[in-house]
Amino acid sequence: MTETFDLSLERVLDAPRDLVWKAWTDAEHIKRWWAPRPYQTPEVEVELRPGGKFFTRMTGPDGFDYSGTACVLEVVPGERIIWSTTMKGGYRPNAFAGDGCDGFPFTAIHTFADAGDGKTRYTATVMHASAKDRDAHAAMGFDSGWATCAEQMAEVARSLGAEA
Amino acid sequence: MLNDSARLDRAFQALSDPVRRGMLARLARGPASVSELAAPLPMSLPAVLQHLKALEASGLVASEKSGRVRTVRLEPKALSATETWLAQQRTAWEARVDRFEDYLATIQQEEDQ
Repeated sequence: MTETFDLSLERVLDAPRDLVWKAWTDAEHIKRWWAPRPYQTPEVEVELRPGGKFFTRMTGPDGFDYSGTACVLEVVPGERIIWSTTMKGGYRPNAFAGDGCDGFPFTAIHTFADAGDGKTRYTATVMHASAKDRDAHAAMGFDSGWATCAEQMAEVARSLGAEA
Repeated sequence: MLNDSARLDRAFQALSDPVRRGMLARLARGPASVSELAAPLPMSLPAVLQHLKALEASGLVASEKSGRVRTVRLEPKALSATETWLAQQRTAWEARVDRFEDYLATIQQEEDQ
């Protein structure tokens, strides 16, 4: 029996690796794809160095306004970036007040590799905290915050799920 | 607690495709016939049926045939609370990478012009 709270994604993207890297790590690019419509991402700050910040602010209907700061842990230009929401810039711990606006702890490892024909293999490994931490966030109404950005898919997932 | 990781793998596999996520989004509003599900999709009926087969295999949806109409519905409680939460994160990331992929296509077109 395996108990895991990690998610792994892999996608071959039809674009050369240098462009994929730039679009994934440059603030002006990120603003254009980070949030699902009708949400927007008016502010993004990325400091591409260990200890640098990865800041995003998303806004949307009904006054939705969510800002999150993660800490960049590792950067191998064109190949790999790791950031974690457990910390903000300068390795300072995030507090996670649990009011639904603070996000939740996870670490994301993104890798980029040539896949031939000008394509790029992208992988993401997203590691979440333990079930206990996560359930605490859920119980505190976390679903109304960050997960709102998953739009109707969050609703779908909930429809598929057990009753809380 | 994830007591059946193979089952969850199948669920994630089903959620990894934008067409199937679209079908699930439609089914979240209520059961639908196969033709209702197929109507908005720019693909052949056999292709739609393939996606439905994958969704049924994942345990996320079930279908029932009455006369000539096959009705598809979401399978309630297909996932535990933890799995639901993970599925939400999964779909959020998949959707984000979908947008990233679309964006890459857009900027490459802009460069070509």
